[in-house]
Amino acid sequence: MSQERHQSQVSELPEEVERLNIHYRIQHIILFTTFILVALTGWALKYPEVEYSSRWVRIWGGPETAGIIHRVAGITMLLDFLYHLIYLGYRFFKGERSFDIVPTPKDLVDFFQNIKYFLGISRDKPKFGRFTYSQKFDYWAVFWGILIIGSSGLALAFPTKAAFLIPSWATNWAWELFYIMHSDEALLAIIFIFFWHFYNEHLKPDVFPMSFVWITGKISIKNLKERHPAEFERLFPKASIKEKEE
Amino acid sequence: MKREKITLLSLIFIFLISLLSHPDPAIANSLSCLICHGTSEGVIFIDGERFSKSVHGTLDCTSCHLKYIDTPHKTLEKEIDKSILDISLSIRIKSKADPVALSACNQCHPDVFGKVKGSVHGQNIFKKKKSDGAYCTDCHGSAHYISPGKSGQSPVDFGHVMETCGGCHEKESISKDYGFSPKVLERYKESFHGKKYILGHKKVPVCTTCHGSHDVKSSKDPQAMVFGTNRLNLCSSCHPGANNKFTSAITHKPVGRDNPIPYYAEKTLIVLTISVIAGCILHVLLEAYAIIRDYLREKRREE
Repeated sequence: MSQERHQSQVSELPEEVERLNIHYRIQHIILFTTFILVALTGWALKYPEVEYSSRWVRIWGGPETAGIIHRVAGITMLLDFLYHLIYLGYRFFKGERSFDIVPTPKDLVDFFQNIKYFLGISRDKPKFGRFTYSQKFDYWAVFWGILIIGSSGLALAFPTKAAFLIPSWATNWAWELFYIMHSDEALLAIIFIFFWHFYNEHLKPDVFPMSFVWITGKISIKNLKERHPAEFERLFPKASIKEKEE
Repeated sequence: MKREKITLLSLIFIFLISLLSHPDPAIANSLSCLICHGTSEGVIFIDGERFSKSVHGTLDCTSCHLKYIDTPHKTLEKEIDKSILDISLSIRIKSKADPVALSACNQCHPDVFGKVKGSVHGQNIFKKKKSDGAYCTDCHGSAHYISPGKSGQSPVDFGHVMETCGGCHEKESISKDYGFSPKVLERYKESFHGKKYILGHKKVPVCTTCHGSHDVKSSKDPQAMVFGTNRLNLCSSCHPGANNKFTSAITHKPVGRDNPIPYYAEKTLIVLTISVIAGCILHVLLEAYAIIRDYLREKRREE
């Protein structure tokens, strides 16, 4: 979204290209700090009957304090989400429109190609664009999670206010639904982040111990070529043609 | 055994001394009763030490056990207050040993007695003459060992009241007879309030907060705090601004097929969670396999 189109006339390739600008990096940092906080302070409520839950919640200053931390962190995360949306809107109206994160049919093709490669059916790795399907999945899972958990969380944190918004035909199930949405979806989000995000951005051998894009915002040309070949071609068409010829 | 003997001897000693100060042997005090009841097996046993530490520890046995006047007790000789006697006749079914003593609570706690009598528990005893309704000692425990309110030991304090109510309200047999769900406590523990309660939150409502204690009413009783529009006042005491749509949040009803939206939402989320996790793990494993395979292949080529 923020990548500047490098002029292909430049014969010399830059060492690295910007992948995430300062806004996205700030948004990401707020997102993961608040995510960790809400996950840790909310965890005990999922399984309160387990003895460790009460001990765990005592580390956070008891259930009342943990509840306050949870709410503050949750609202901060929602504000962060709002910042993200407003920033996207701002870019859209400025004409810097990029839909790199939107899933396309190519992602499905890439996915099947990748599976084929994993299984050894094909020797060719899929040629990923700016975002791989794994990264798009990661992004949209969090997006969906914030919508579901955030909306139900607001309703649970401010129940008397939320009560005015609930239509009267929904009162018999809305509260149960909020509760299920918040609690079950949160569990899904935590496990998902642990399996998917941690594997893809931390544990995978070629990024271990982690991908530094979240701090520097930059990706080296070497990594760009390896991991996002289609994006490399799009950014540096001449260089890639030259390479192919060689 | 040795300890018991010492206790017995010392109690007899104290008793003898107390005889000197109480020339009238008809006035039995706690110590003389405890000579038998505090030691011997086979009679109703009272733990003298616990009794003395309880809030009732300064009372004489005969303050409540009104029919007994001498030691060892013989027969009914004493005139008992008519109001106490009346209560004892009504609550016979609650105490086989000494219904008079159980009725004697009224002597010092008449206001509470009035509330209990009008409650759903009290009505069950006084009107329906059934033994299921909770009476003083059912909730507070034996009158001999009532703990001071702040001790954290009382069965009716914040930390214990759930278990105490559950003693009857989780029983299948009682719930069947009176048409309430034996799962209410379970549901409470799954609710917003209950989960916090289990974790040690101090400001959540417990059974008695919403249903009342001595004056507990059936939820079908229009006088009940949880009935109809009374609920609005009840909920808004903690949640100012609560409206009708808010008060439906707590029902103690299970999430079942009769409430299909949360039921199927939960099922859907479970399926979604399991399939997402399974898909992710599978993908990660496959990728790990490919990475190791490629690595080995590369190594072999180098050799």
